[in-house]
Amino acid sequence: MQYQYTAEQQEFRDSLRRFVSDHYDYERHRQRLTKGEHFDAGLWQQWAELGVLGLALNEEYGGLGSGLDDMMAVAEELGRGLVPEPVVPVVAAARLLASVASPAQAEALLPSLVGGELRLSLAWEESASRGNPLVLQTRVKDGALYGKKCAVLGAGEAQQWLVSARNEQGELLLLLLTAQPDGLRRYVMADGRAAGDILFDSVPVDDSAVLCRGDAAERALRQSVSESLLLMAAESLGCIDSLLSVSGEYLVTRKQFGMPLAAFQALQHRFADMFIAGEKLRSLLWAAFQQQGREGFHRAAAQLKVQLAESGRYVGQQAVQLHGGIGMTDELNVGAYFKRLTLMELLAGQRDDHLAGLALAS
Amino acid sequence: MTEDRSLEAFRDEVRAFIRESATEEIREAGRKTTSVFAPFKQAMAWQRILADKGWVAPSWPQEYGGTGWSLEQRYVFAQECNRAQMPPILPQNLQMVGPAILGFGSDAQKAELLPRMLSGEDFWCQGYSEPGAGSDLAALKCRADRDGDDYILNGSKIWTTYAQHANKMFALVRTSSEGKPQQGITFLLLDMGLPGMEVRPILGLDGAPEQCEVFFSDVRVPCGNRVGEENEGWTVAKYVLEFERGGSTMGAWLVPAVERLREQCEQVDELGQRRLDDPVLARRLEALEIDALAVEHTEKRVNAGLKHGQNPGPMASLLKILGTEVMQRFSELQLEVTGLRSLVYDPDALEIGAAPSDFSEDELLAMPYYMNTRAASIYAGSNEVQRSLLAKAVMAG
Repeated sequence: MQYQYTAEQQEFRDSLRRFVSDHYDYERHRQRLTKGEHFDAGLWQQWAELGVLGLALNEEYGGLGSGLDDMMAVAEELGRGLVPEPVVPVVAAARLLASVASPAQAEALLPSLVGGELRLSLAWEESASRGNPLVLQTRVKDGALYGKKCAVLGAGEAQQWLVSARNEQGELLLLLLTAQPDGLRRYVMADGRAAGDILFDSVPVDDSAVLCRGDAAERALRQSVSESLLLMAAESLGCIDSLLSVSGEYLVTRKQFGMPLAAFQALQHRFADMFIAGEKLRSLLWAAFQQQGREGFHRAAAQLKVQLAESGRYVGQQAVQLHGGIGMTDELNVGAYFKRLTLMELLAGQRDDHLAGLALAS
Repeated sequence: MTEDRSLEAFRDEVRAFIRESATEEIREAGRKTTSVFAPFKQAMAWQRILADKGWVAPSWPQEYGGTGWSLEQRYVFAQECNRAQMPPILPQNLQMVGPAILGFGSDAQKAELLPRMLSGEDFWCQGYSEPGAGSDLAALKCRADRDGDDYILNGSKIWTTYAQHANKMFALVRTSSEGKPQQGITFLLLDMGLPGMEVRPILGLDGAPEQCEVFFSDVRVPCGNRVGEENEGWTVAKYVLEFERGGSTMGAWLVPAVERLREQCEQVDELGQRRLDDPVLARRLEALEIDALAVEHTEKRVNAGLKHGQNPGPMASLLKILGTEVMQRFSELQLEVTGLRSLVYDPDALEIGAAPSDFSEDELLAMPYYMNTRAASIYAGSNEVQRSLLAKAVMAG
């Protein structure tokens, strides 16, 4: 049973950590946020050169053929570095594409995804989906697409969108569409990442856009969304680990009432609870990872998202609290991690949504 | 008329006044308030309107411009202002420096300063915290050295809300390092923009420049600007802090806010669904309403037990903890309800008078409000410090 990264993966993670700390220091993050620079084409190219974009894709398309755990290691560092570029969304969408594309489609698209020239976004969330990708209103009717997708990460940077929809028979379709500015409502999120809502109002689609349909499409989409939940949890752990280290250091050095904050029992206990919250999330991440390819994978992924929401909120809020006033400013990275964790809590189904889904399935 | 009927008549009077006198710009600022500190310009405009009506300082003694209302009337007034989503009046003038002058100021200070506080002609900021003195306020170091009839100030203050808008500051400064740290502190009034003063706004994690740091380098302030005796500022500050914590009407904000959240959950969305039909959410709203009512009735109970001018002692700590933590719970549920619609971050669209945005006010507000409200358990004495004070006082009996 795997509960940690292999020595090789740790080495890879360390090298990424160096790359991230060189290129994503907090001062630069602040400046980018002020200017609304959520995407840097040069940095994107470097992610491609590091092999990260093709890490989890087959070697025949230029990828490295690694597993989800390698990608988890990457996601941790993305969280730690507060990286705004949509690395995880693009990689996750590429994995979904690879799982359903014909050899010809795969050959046409995947090498340029690996190389960083093509970016792809998966549009599955809707206001009613509440974490369940099979609950959707988007419809294909008489050769045209109708519906509204929400919170599509990197939607505005992608040239192609993978879109879930149902046809008139209720069958699930996975569509590959060229990104269009019409109907796209872009925004920057509180953590500096970009997302968009997409309105499809009678957008023509023909059969060639359908990558996959029916049960196969449902299986592939669920797999992709559950994998994303694992990557989100890993990214959250990167944020949580950083917050624990920054907060621990602050408690030891900051003095009030003539002693370090770390001498106050109430704060020791708070810090211990934050640490426990992080470890619970780490355990459930590996538990979900072990369920890959098994029947319990989706359930474990949903359980993980519940824990992500709880741990992320607790650690984020308390890290701000322990820092006091300075934690409320953008001068320290504490607030930035708190914001990223808050967004992760809201994306892909909230705590109560997943609890409801789990209870229904039990 | 029975008391209840007269109170309802008063409620109608307040509603009518708000309806007739609040401008659209003030209303917009009220709706777009994501903090306990409303947008400055419009909050002051609303203060002016209330001052002209004589309704601006319900907690002050009547001879100095108070309203003479009963505690019930004060609560009704706060409820109606909040129900109409008026911007809250900034607390610095009327709840912080005002009480200090009322309690400890000279007759000349009262005559000169109180009317300008009421009207908003002066806006005061609070110079208390320092980088090394937050929860441990008595550790403050900003020095005021005597030089003839002046004090010379050196040091800095931080978390000075809206210092960039203020023309006056009330500050705690160190005039002696002998004895206990509390014993060498003096309460001082000064003008902003004096030679040697510098204000640096600090961007909050919600993107708003609400807080400031203020630096003093050989800033000369006349000794006549002192409130109370030299080295006895701590007594004045304690009085103000308790005033800030007590006399609170947070329940009058929370109960209408929960009502609004419920209304939001009752709305039928584009798919014909209502959030309130989710039984888990419905229960959480009920629980939040109970929390809000607990705040309201604890405040009313504490206020009712006080004679005029008395301060609520340790119960002030209880009210601060309870009120701020329910406020935070409210901000969490509002964020969850708004969900994927709250992801957008666009501080420009929250400016008063901003061009209509692609996003509704609900969408724009939930996240910054949630972020900003994390400060509630930090400001005015962190909730950890309040819990220690409360436990100590209650255990001592």
